Amino acid sequence: MTSLTAQQRAVISVRGVEKHFPIKEGTLQREVGQVRAVDGVSFEVRPGETMGLVGESGCGKTTLGRCISGLVPPTGGKIFFRLPDEDAARLDEIDAIPEPDRTAEQRKEVERIDAKHRVDVLSGKAWRTYRRNCQIVFQDSFSSLNPRQLVKDLVGRPLQVHKLASGQELTERVVSLLESVGLGRQHLYRYPHQFSGGQRQRISIARALALDPEFIVLDEPTSALDVSVQAQILNLLHELQTERGLTYLFISHDLGVVRLMSDRIAVMYLGKVAEYGTAKELFEDPRHPYTEALLAANPDMASEESVMKGLMGTVPSPANPPEGCRFHTRCPVATPACGWEVDDAVAWLQAHETLLAGLTDVQRRSNFDATLVFQDEDSASAVGGAFQDGDLPPAMKAALEKVSTDGRSVHITFFPVEPVWLEDVGDAHLTACLLHTRQGQEPWPPQPIADSSNRTAANPSSTSTTNSNAR
Amino acid sequence: MTQSQVGIDISQGQATRPLVASVRDLKVYFEAKAGVVHAVDGVSFDIRDGETLGLVGETGCGKSVTARSFIRLVPSPPGIYAGGQIDFWSTESRRNRHEPIDLLQIPDEEMLEIRGDRIAMIFQDPGKALNPALSIRSQVAEVFYQHRSEEILEPLGENVPRLIRRAARQQTRSFERFLLNFPPWRAKAARLRMRVDELVAQALTETQIPNPRTIMASYPHELSGGMKQRVLIAQALACNPDLLIADEPTTALDVTIQARILELIAELKERLETSVLYISHDLSLVKEICDRVVVMYAGRIIETGTTEEVFRAPKHPYTRGLMAAVPSALHRRGELAAIEGTVPELIDPTPACRFNTRCPFAVEICRTVDPEVVPVGGEHTVACFAYNTGDGSVVLPTLERWVS
Repeated sequence: MTSLTAQQRAVISVRGVEKHFPIKEGTLQREVGQVRAVDGVSFEVRPGETMGLVGESGCGKTTLGRCISGLVPPTGGKIFFRLPDEDAARLDEIDAIPEPDRTAEQRKEVERIDAKHRVDVLSGKAWRTYRRNCQIVFQDSFSSLNPRQLVKDLVGRPLQVHKLASGQELTERVVSLLESVGLGRQHLYRYPHQFSGGQRQRISIARALALDPEFIVLDEPTSALDVSVQAQILNLLHELQTERGLTYLFISHDLGVVRLMSDRIAVMYLGKVAEYGTAKELFEDPRHPYTEALLAANPDMASEESVMKGLMGTVPSPANPPEGCRFHTRCPVATPACGWEVDDAVAWLQAHETLLAGLTDVQRRSNFDATLVFQDEDSASAVGGAFQDGDLPPAMKAALEKVSTDGRSVHITFFPVEPVWLEDVGDAHLTACLLHTRQGQEPWPPQPIADSSNRTAANPSSTSTTNSNAR
Repeated sequence: MTQSQVGIDISQGQATRPLVASVRDLKVYFEAKAGVVHAVDGVSFDIRDGETLGLVGETGCGKSVTARSFIRLVPSPPGIYAGGQIDFWSTESRRNRHEPIDLLQIPDEEMLEIRGDRIAMIFQDPGKALNPALSIRSQVAEVFYQHRSEEILEPLGENVPRLIRRAARQQTRSFERFLLNFPPWRAKAARLRMRVDELVAQALTETQIPNPRTIMASYPHELSGGMKQRVLIAQALACNPDLLIADEPTTALDVTIQARILELIAELKERLETSVLYISHDLSLVKEICDRVVVMYAGRIIETGTTEEVFRAPKHPYTRGLMAAVPSALHRRGELAAIEGTVPELIDPTPACRFNTRCPFAVEICRTVDPEVVPVGGEHTVACFAYNTGDGSVVLPTLERWVS
């Protein structure tokens, strides 16, 4: 941590990384859609620091970890290894220019940097250096250790692959590795099933350390362990980091653990980073409702009186994530500008069983504009009426631009919104919440159709929240 | 806040509350090649009416086996109920001042009536606890067919055909089910089905499942983890049991969902006046939701007390170690208090404090004599020769009093 500025480079630079998995259907396996597991994430990991990655299951944190460790290639964006700061600055410059306008020289420069540092196009010696220096420890030590191999083979394998040691020397290297994680010579000739969960995780760590790497991805290394054993492993990881100057990417869903282990934290939600900042700032001054919700749901032993609060609803499908803020469907302080769309309207109807009974078709022109077709006129007018006078969330109601009933169909139109981007709110603390960023200060509604007095009346809660943030 | 305050208020008057279940010297062993594993070795505790009792401990300390013994779900062989008893008072038997029944002695048929009706269980992994091949409706309906067949036959009036009665108990064979599609049974079978559907929908609504009718028609793989756990809770609480055993119900869930599920269990517990045995390895959760706590280690109980007593002044070194190991804002990196070593093997153990191999305060007597559970004020009891007084100093009490 002391050498942060001394070495003028980041260990790992993640620049707009996307990983989309195709959804295939039918006999021909035609691609019908994409699961956007990771959808445009950028951050840097500096030498000697621990970067924490938190989020619920399905938010893409493990996929991102796998992309970074080179196990799966990203479908978009770039991951760089040991990218010098000057090259990073150069890339920033060139990236600002739209693709067709770049000069041949600039293109060549990008190619040069890519060939030297970009993880998914590295080859030959550079690729081997990267593989040696980037290791991963998996969550489930049952399935990540081959049950038919001895500990000696498991831990010695990386050394054999890279032809670093053999014979007696290999054994000695393995012994010293085992000793550094709290095991010993007596464990050399045993199989993984003879160890407890904590010991197996130690073997995984020893294997990751075998090539003396610079960077280790820790993918939920302690979530399968008991608290007492978890404490042992966390202490061990910290000890190894200080001894060997390791850099960690610590992936976990446990906020307490991440807070303890990380210098900086990125909170992920549905494939995107919701908030990013130092551990201290993120916990003491969270600037995103999702972070606040995670904190509120996390039971804390230290606090005398804690109230655990859960979140309503479930995570939207990553195959069709909301266009605006991705968290608005569950957000307790959502505003009309957060990106309410047709899916939300349908979800609200689903909660009122009777209303959706006669629905036959949804004709979607965009995420914000659709026609619901019903079996008969009565149910159509009932739904149309419900949208106008029902107990819609006030923010959603204010975001509705137009509802019109026409025979058996109901047309609904929401005000379209821009995607929400991460914005700096001071001290390298980034958030993607409209309540805290400049993006949220743009006038609402976007078109001059609806009058603003109506909105204030309909949604007093959101205005009071925004006022407090010096809107 | 309200939750824990309510918990404390209840605990004050708790000593006088009637018992729901009383475990006395329970021993459950497993036969293995290497010897007999003493998974649960002389465990005694009480569950009082309307309380939430937390059973805490590491993996392999016997907490799940203890809980499963209540409804005799320990596979046998290799499991052996080697001794002790579990007395159980249902609301009805208490009202009629009947003697308690011993859950380990009653015949299997009687157990079938109690299991799922008077004592229900929520399992750890909702993904595995539901049958992937059956719809949600049929899985929840099974509880009603099993335990409430009289009730679902009620609206059909007197003179119900025998076949319909059999259908209401799920005793029909395949050709009988085929016959149900034809008059004269057809109409009655449809009414029976509607009645069950109603009950299932009602049970699902209790657990705040939106759109119960749609959920009923779906299969487990179509639901999220939190939703599946709600279905399991609906299933468990369908018959309004006297005792609900929750075996780590939120371990497989995200924190945000976990909080909602715990709220739900707490709310339903209050409304249905059910007692809850809550099993968890997560101390911070237990602190949040339980009235009393029982701490287990290696098949033994080492500490019991009200949540407040145990968490404010833990006595046993193991409890202290567990609490110190939970990361919090107060810890510095690399300075977590870890309990070194692992849980000892429980094959034919010799008399000794089970924790002596990992205990920083262990002295000679710990390695040769079994400590007894002794009271240390209030409802707080602990099984340790040398315990912490709370200010870090180690006190060795007069040993004669403690040794049996």
